[in-house]
Amino acid sequence: MSTTSAPSVHLQRFEDVRQLIGSPANPTPLVRLNHVVPAGVGPLYLKLEWYNPFGSIKDRTALYLLKGLAERNALEGKQLVEPTSGNTGIALAALAALTGIPITVTIPDGVPEEKKTLLRMLGAEVWETPDDLCPINHPKDGAIALARSFVESEATRDKYVMPNQYENPDNITAHYETTGPEIWLQTEGTVRRFYAGFGTCGTLTGTGRYLKEQDPTIQVIAIEPNKGHRIPGMKNMSESRQPGILDRSILDRVVRIDDATAYAMTKRLFREEGLIVGPSTGAIVAAAVQELQDDTGLSVAISPDSGFKYASFFTDILGDDGLPAG
Amino acid sequence: MATHSIDAKGLQCPAPIMRLFNWSKTAIPDDQVSITATDIGFISDVKAWCQKTRNELLSLEEANGVITAHIRKVAA
Repeated sequence: MSTTSAPSVHLQRFEDVRQLIGSPANPTPLVRLNHVVPAGVGPLYLKLEWYNPFGSIKDRTALYLLKGLAERNALEGKQLVEPTSGNTGIALAALAALTGIPITVTIPDGVPEEKKTLLRMLGAEVWETPDDLCPINHPKDGAIALARSFVESEATRDKYVMPNQYENPDNITAHYETTGPEIWLQTEGTVRRFYAGFGTCGTLTGTGRYLKEQDPTIQVIAIEPNKGHRIPGMKNMSESRQPGILDRSILDRVVRIDDATAYAMTKRLFREEGLIVGPSTGAIVAAAVQELQDDTGLSVAISPDSGFKYASFFTDILGDDGLPAG
Repeated sequence: MATHSIDAKGLQCPAPIMRLFNWSKTAIPDDQVSITATDIGFISDVKAWCQKTRNELLSLEEANGVITAHIRKVAA
């Protein structure tokens, strides 16, 4: 007698690239960190969000943002405009291309060339914007202010719609319905701590809210870079406008991390764990490792994206490291 | 020396400043630009932008709700 059962994730076949975006039925991997975590503490698992099809955790956000706009009939005859450090733009541009919607992306200067080029490859119009473009009215948030001006200006407001990942509750829902349930299922309800970085705060608020609803004693910890940091995708809240979707009541605490510590951990993840991660992963893992004790229990940290898009950025921080002496 | 004009009327800040920024990327020293805008915030923004970028604000006027700024490219 033969028996049949549901195919495992690895035997699945997909009819559309959008089905590859993380969901409880097709979660991104959780991988244990075995070398950067001191013996006897942890365990600490990293959720590899770069297994999403467009390369980052923002694939989830972009899918829900566009779904919400379509459900509200806000896309008809409009172009998209979104301020982004790259990953949301890449995901939005890929999804927009699939449905034939033009997209303009305003991007802070300093974003690696790889991300800008990918955006243009996907057909997006890219406006690189100095953070202090408008020093009087919009300090440090030039890209956000510029995108907002597209949708609020009398001359252009009929042409553009902004998904607005910083204020749109669909960003929270994406993580409440996917990232949170995935972590709960993958850890079989044993997760004790959840670590993610300050950015748009959709991951922290949505995932944190879901996990605390399952077990209010689960700790949700936000990682914040120092002022003047160079960690793409992360925000220091004292120099940036706080995103409207951040629910601070979900956070148990905020851990500050400096760039040198974040970069050092990024290198260790490359060299000791074989994980080619982006700089924000280094910041998040560094903060988590600092906190681990022998009775911490199972922790999960988010790895928002891979290191492949940051080659030129890493060249800057490597110096002479890895070059032949003399 | 070239003189350019930018119509940024109906655009909210910082879009007019972004237009100036894009002009300054290709302008050479002594090039001039005349920009018109209607966002009242442009008055303070253009003063701060010229100070920050060391370009010369030759004149700044407002008439009938339209702000006109003349700027000379100084920095290379």
